Amino acid sequence: MEICNSYSSSSVDSTKHSASESSVNLSLSLTFPSTSPQRATKQDWPPIKPRLKDTLKVRRRLLQRDYDTCLFVKVYMEGVPIGRKLDLSTFSGYESLLENLSHMFNTSIICGNHRDRKHHVLTYQDTDGDWMMVGDIPWEMFLETVRRLKITKPERC
Amino acid sequence: MDRAIKLQLSTSEMNYFPDEVIEHIFDFIPSHRDRNSISLVSKSWHKIERYSRHQVFIGNCYAISPERLIRRFPCLRSLTLKGKPHFADFNLVPHEWGGFLHPWIDALSKARVGLEELRLKRMVVSDESLELLSRSFVGFKSLVLVSCDGFTTDGLASIAANCRNLRELDLQENEIDDHRGQWLNCFPDSSTTLVSLNFACLKGETNLSALERLVARSPNLKSLKVNRAVPLDALTRLMSCAPQLVDLGVGCYENEAEPESFEKLMAAIKKCTLLRSLSGFSEVAPVCLTAFYPICENLTSLNLSYAAEIQGNHLIEFVQFCKRLQLLWILDSIGDKGLEIVASSCKELQELRVFPSDPHDEEDNNTAVTEVGLVAISAGCPKLHSILYFCKQMTNAALITVAKNCPNFIRFRLCILEPNKPDHITSQSLDEGFGAIVQACKGLRRLSVSGLLTDKVFLYIGMYAAQLEMLSIAFAGDTDKGMLYVLNGCKKLRKLEIRDSPFGNAALLADVGKYETMRSLWMSSCEVTLGGCKRLARNAPWLNVEIINENENGRMERNEEDEREKVDRLYLYRTVVGTRKDAPPCVTIL
Repeated sequence: MEICNSYSSSSVDSTKHSASESSVNLSLSLTFPSTSPQRATKQDWPPIKPRLKDTLKVRRRLLQRDYDTCLFVKVYMEGVPIGRKLDLSTFSGYESLLENLSHMFNTSIICGNHRDRKHHVLTYQDTDGDWMMVGDIPWEMFLETVRRLKITKPERC
Repeated sequence: MDRAIKLQLSTSEMNYFPDEVIEHIFDFIPSHRDRNSISLVSKSWHKIERYSRHQVFIGNCYAISPERLIRRFPCLRSLTLKGKPHFADFNLVPHEWGGFLHPWIDALSKARVGLEELRLKRMVVSDESLELLSRSFVGFKSLVLVSCDGFTTDGLASIAANCRNLRELDLQENEIDDHRGQWLNCFPDSSTTLVSLNFACLKGETNLSALERLVARSPNLKSLKVNRAVPLDALTRLMSCAPQLVDLGVGCYENEAEPESFEKLMAAIKKCTLLRSLSGFSEVAPVCLTAFYPICENLTSLNLSYAAEIQGNHLIEFVQFCKRLQLLWILDSIGDKGLEIVASSCKELQELRVFPSDPHDEEDNNTAVTEVGLVAISAGCPKLHSILYFCKQMTNAALITVAKNCPNFIRFRLCILEPNKPDHITSQSLDEGFGAIVQACKGLRRLSVSGLLTDKVFLYIGMYAAQLEMLSIAFAGDTDKGMLYVLNGCKKLRKLEIRDSPFGNAALLADVGKYETMRSLWMSSCEVTLGGCKRLARNAPWLNVEIINENENGRMERNEEDEREKVDRLYLYRTVVGTRKDAPPCVTIL
């Protein structure tokens, strides 16, 4: 059995070499490995055509993204050594995020646009490693680039 | 004896008419099968029929040679050719197996045949062939390619540029190498004859302005199916300049369509009062389907089988208003509930296909369809005659009910996703269920079986399926008797394809003459051995018996092969031209 398997995966040159070996061994072996009648490889069952297969693959990829998207990020408040963890995928947008964070840290937090001396400002670190003001880009895009959050003291910005 | 004399007398009476009159009478008989019968009546009829035959259908391109075809039908105008066996659609046939178009185009071109239409299925088509085709036939009007491969958009460019009278270019499910060229630009400005254009299977970018200009100058355009690269705004413009469209395939929309763009699309759609058929929708947001609400009552054909993004509830919302639907292809995400709604809304339904959205059972959801949906459809849709149904489970009781509700099935294809799955309530085989189907549906021409099945189901099929022409078997049966029941019983059987079933040499060799009445037989992962196939080839020289090997190198071992070795894939077919010369190394013809 092993002879046949290695034969099938060998390159052309070594095939020629092993042909004589195989022919000797062939006469010794009683039966060849037979394909199991119950084989159903993922490639050819169930019987659906390539275009549908491709369509479903894309769908699975997108679905996986949904399943995997429990976007837990670390949140630190400046001056507070212990941080929190937050699942961003549970929020529908910036407003609900801010509301929740304000609640969590017991202070008022705003986005970058309305800066003043009184409120904390929310910033985030993106995939490039840069620290940016939260709120400038569309929410979906934000979800894709955010790595961690930081609530900064008012004067900093 | 009497009948033969009567026949001779009547033909000799008819022969008082000049040939042109007889030929005119034959014009009313388009069916190629009837034509074949006519040609057997007498020598003069054979001759008249030959010269007046314009449409020829060749179910297996290796059954005959192009030269013989042209010799017999020199006035050929429309040719249909099929190449690879059906299971090639599911990766069971090597790419290089065969089915090359080139020798046909070459021969037709050299003989100066006035070819106008070419329909190909599972053939290997090259850019060179397309170029030759485009230059050889002045009156060429229609090219339909289904599940073909081997060509690129360069080949399409030749067709566009050179076929001055092109009316139809229909590309369905082909593997086309997209060179992102300007093939749409190649239609000359003077080209205004297009009636049908389908390039939905192209994967690359589309020159939108070229497409818009082409559509704008084609007043006869009835069918337009675009690919994914045509976004919402472009689609709106296309529909605005083609409100006469009857058949539309949409591409891929951006996920967040702006309300204004959406309004414009809806306005354009409202004007398409002739629209009857809709397809496409791959990777689109559900809202895009809603744009078609204004015309959904007019639809007779709806193909949402690629609309994997649209969830069940959206599908149901839309389909329930399509009261005139005759054809529905959809994913199983519509669910049993959805099918119940279809059953109560779509009373004109004739053909239903339900495809699996989760073929390998990788998701946790339970929205696939079951026997409940099938029974509902059979009860609610009296005109149903064709069904393809992928489901997770089935019962005999359901199949018996379906058979009672729908004795008019012509095509019945059931695919239970898990091989060998029994009746999920009684744990018995599904022999009785399928038996009920073949017994009730006296006009059944095509059948695919699945689930746990013993030899008994084949006994039923052989006994009752008198009109059956095509049978697909997978993971079924116990012994050779099963296959024998079918071969002995189904007199009209033309195509038999079997995979992963325990049928062997005894069944294969029992009645060699049977294969002369059939187009082809496919057996893969069964129990037939090399020795059995060799014996068959010896006893039936009119057959091509092809062994397709697992690996490229298999051929080198031919001489030393043990005849007891099981054959991986066997494909045999009748032919009048003997062994083909274009087989690749992985195919051995005995």
